[in-house]
Amino acid sequence: MNRAPIYGVAIIAALALAVPLLPLPAPVSMDVAHRLAGPSAQHWLGQDEFGRDVLSRLLWGARVSLSVALFSAAIACIVGTAFGVLGGFLRGIVEILTLRAVDVLLCFPPLLLALLVVTLAGPGATTLVPVLALVYLPGFTRVAYAGVLTARSQDYVEAMRVLGAGRLRIMLRTILPNIGGPVLVQISLSTASAVVLESGLSFLGLGVVPPAPSWGLMIGAARATMVQAPLLLLWPCLALTVTILAMNALCDALRDAVDPHPAWKPRLRRTVDALAPGLLPAPAGVLDVRDLTVAIDTPLGTIHPVRNISLYVEAGETLALVGESGSGKSMTSLAISGLLPQAARISSGTIRLSGTDLLRLLEPALRAIRGAAAAMIFQDPSSSLNPVHRIGAQIAEAIRAHRPNADAAAETLSLLRRVGIPDPERRARAYPHELSGGMRQRVMIAIAIANAPSLLIADEPTTALDVTIQAQILTLLADLQRERGIALLFITHSLPVVAEIADRVAVMYAGEIVETGRTADVFGAPKHPYTAALLKSAPDEDGPPPEGIPGIVPAPHALPPGCTFAPRCTHRTPDCDIARPPLADVEPGWQTRCVRWRTV
Amino acid sequence: MAWLARRFGISFVLIWVVASIVFLAIRFVPGDPAELLLSQGGAAPDPGAVAELREQLGLDRPVWSQYLGDLWRLAHFDLGRSMQDDSPVVEAISRRLPRTLELIAAAALMAVLIGIPAGTAAALRRGRLFDRLASAIAALALAVPIFVVGTLMVMLFAQTLRWVPAGGYVALARDPAQHLLLLAMPAVTIGLGLAAVVFRMTRAAVLDVMLRDYIRTAHAKGVAPSRVLRHHVVRNALMPVVTVLALHMGTLLGGTVLVEYVFNWPGLSGLLVSAVNARDYPEVVGIVLVISILFVGLNLLVDIIYGLIDPRVRR
Repeated sequence: MNRAPIYGVAIIAALALAVPLLPLPAPVSMDVAHRLAGPSAQHWLGQDEFGRDVLSRLLWGARVSLSVALFSAAIACIVGTAFGVLGGFLRGIVEILTLRAVDVLLCFPPLLLALLVVTLAGPGATTLVPVLALVYLPGFTRVAYAGVLTARSQDYVEAMRVLGAGRLRIMLRTILPNIGGPVLVQISLSTASAVVLESGLSFLGLGVVPPAPSWGLMIGAARATMVQAPLLLLWPCLALTVTILAMNALCDALRDAVDPHPAWKPRLRRTVDALAPGLLPAPAGVLDVRDLTVAIDTPLGTIHPVRNISLYVEAGETLALVGESGSGKSMTSLAISGLLPQAARISSGTIRLSGTDLLRLLEPALRAIRGAAAAMIFQDPSSSLNPVHRIGAQIAEAIRAHRPNADAAAETLSLLRRVGIPDPERRARAYPHELSGGMRQRVMIAIAIANAPSLLIADEPTTALDVTIQAQILTLLADLQRERGIALLFITHSLPVVAEIADRVAVMYAGEIVETGRTADVFGAPKHPYTAALLKSAPDEDGPPPEGIPGIVPAPHALPPGCTFAPRCTHRTPDCDIARPPLADVEPGWQTRCVRWRTV
Repeated sequence: MAWLARRFGISFVLIWVVASIVFLAIRFVPGDPAELLLSQGGAAPDPGAVAELREQLGLDRPVWSQYLGDLWRLAHFDLGRSMQDDSPVVEAISRRLPRTLELIAAAALMAVLIGIPAGTAAALRRGRLFDRLASAIAALALAVPIFVVGTLMVMLFAQTLRWVPAGGYVALARDPAQHLLLLAMPAVTIGLGLAAVVFRMTRAAVLDVMLRDYIRTAHAKGVAPSRVLRHHVVRNALMPVVTVLALHMGTLLGGTVLVEYVFNWPGLSGLLVSAVNARDYPEVVGIVLVISILFVGLNLLVDIIYGLIDPRVRR
């Protein structure tokens, strides 16, 4: 966390606290003979329109402003949080009463609410605190209510209830500490905002009552003598601005600390100079990936979620890339299509599409390939389509991006018909949310085949769909592939799907390919313990009950020195931990990264 | 269209609740309004005068009858008469309200014209010099209270440089050039802070939308980056920006108090301050009601704009 704003606010607060101890003239002692006098030895910042010491009034003003702001934020915090916690925890009538009351408060603009109360109760510091508390109360209620709703659905709160803990105890012990972070942020936001509102009300003569010092009052009074003594106006303006700047910075820092989204520094996406030399054998197939490694710079150091991946796909062939979540299979597909997130970059390797080295191309040339020669289908069709555009327009956009003169409207309709969407004229005018998940995935497929791709990368295209729809989508993909001779790279974690669709399979584990070969060979007699364990963990109607794999995938910044699967492997020997095993040939076209493949 | 009808229904209920709250606040505040009004300088007011004022304000009738009467008059746009000069409150409000709205509209226009392009540009150049510079300026603009900006602008542009008058108001019909000249400073004062808010919101929204799956799809289709930005990023990023802008404009309806005071702009908020100082209950209640109704109306407008931007809302 950035500490500078903490120190800034601490210094201001310390000054406000220590001001009675400082050898300053009283803030209200007048000296009319020296009104509007400039800075002097006794009065460092000069004297105001009644001859009072400006520095003293400035510091005493800080004390008034900050204490009013803090008190009101504290009251708003206690009452507002109590409302939110009670409403969220007790539900029913309490929830309706507290939350609706707060919603009504939000119908009034803050300054207006303050003015209304000041009208009814009269100005003065004693009115100011409850007024400001009322203004900031809704924020706390909202934050606390949201926090309780999240917390109460969590397992440990449920568990405490089952164990018979009293409601009050659950609230105090588990929920309050959990909403502490957001509430702390809310306190700092309210305090900063209360300083502004207090000074504004005082400026209008509706807040702190003279002769008590307040920055708002000082600015208001100095306006009258702006021409004779401009500095008189500048000092309180400066004090107010610096204080609020420091408090806002503290709010931002607190918010970042409470809500830690990793902030990666942007990097150039591809480093052309890190490429492997071109002394490679002739490329095989439509897609030929050699030795691909992806690097991500994180605060914990550089990690490599994809390491030395080599694979190829021929025309009309399907290669399945299989692995658990976090094995690096999606990262591999994004690297191939040049759509890696900003933080990630390809640190070595080559990717050839029909002989063209994609990593040597600049972005405009890559863009001409993307969506044309190489197309992609993503996992979640509901988030992959833009919610605000009609689906016909989204398909037509893919056509026009590569063939500006095509009759995109007519092609869109025939594509929709081809992917099995009934009544295409009407459906083309639908928005994504008006279609079912299966229909949306058919739209994504229509977009992918719009420009007759030679390579289609399908990243878990059926995972988000239910089983009957899955089968339909797989059939559609298989038909299209046969019909057009497409090379299909199919990424999935589902072994039954692999068995059904893939000619060859590559099994990924912790960023590496551990076994690759023809699907029938690999699934029939796996030569890597991970593949074997994966097959045993897949549910099968006729076979034995599925077995889980003990342990978890190692984190990418804490990989074991030897075989990455060794810590979870039942066939582990001391040899496994010495060095990273190379890919060994079982047969031509069938490789495994296990040193003991002959024996297991 | 059922969606629109429901939204209108909710807005009417909200206005009814707000009117009821204002009614209750006035009736149940400690002390009798009539006595409070007549007790100047601590002396006990004349009972006869109090009774007369109570009758004039309708305070002698039962509470429910007062409440229904108030609602009935509100439904007919009758907000009573000012206690200062006995003129209809509606008249004063309808004379002043357009001036305040003009101020807010000019500020919002400035905020949108600066904030949205700058926010988008900063998001696209995240972490670079432009982003850091613009973010720092926005942080400063957010930290300086609105009346400080106004006061310093008066000191600089009116007192020192003498480019513009320190404040005041001339009707547009009477002298268009002078009208715009007088509008400039208060509008810029409000616009600066608002532009900073719009900038921050746009920057965050664009950064968020750029990570969405459908943006990846657009890139995967091979669509040119400029088209991805215009057709896919900005339209989706506008949603939260519209909300924040509208909420702030609602806040400004009351928040222009300070700016109108600094620049001597005779808008609705100035009327409110003088009414508060004079304890003119009918006028305060009338203004608070009108502003709250506008606030609710603005939220309704946001929902309608939402429906135009995002088809999913129209259900």
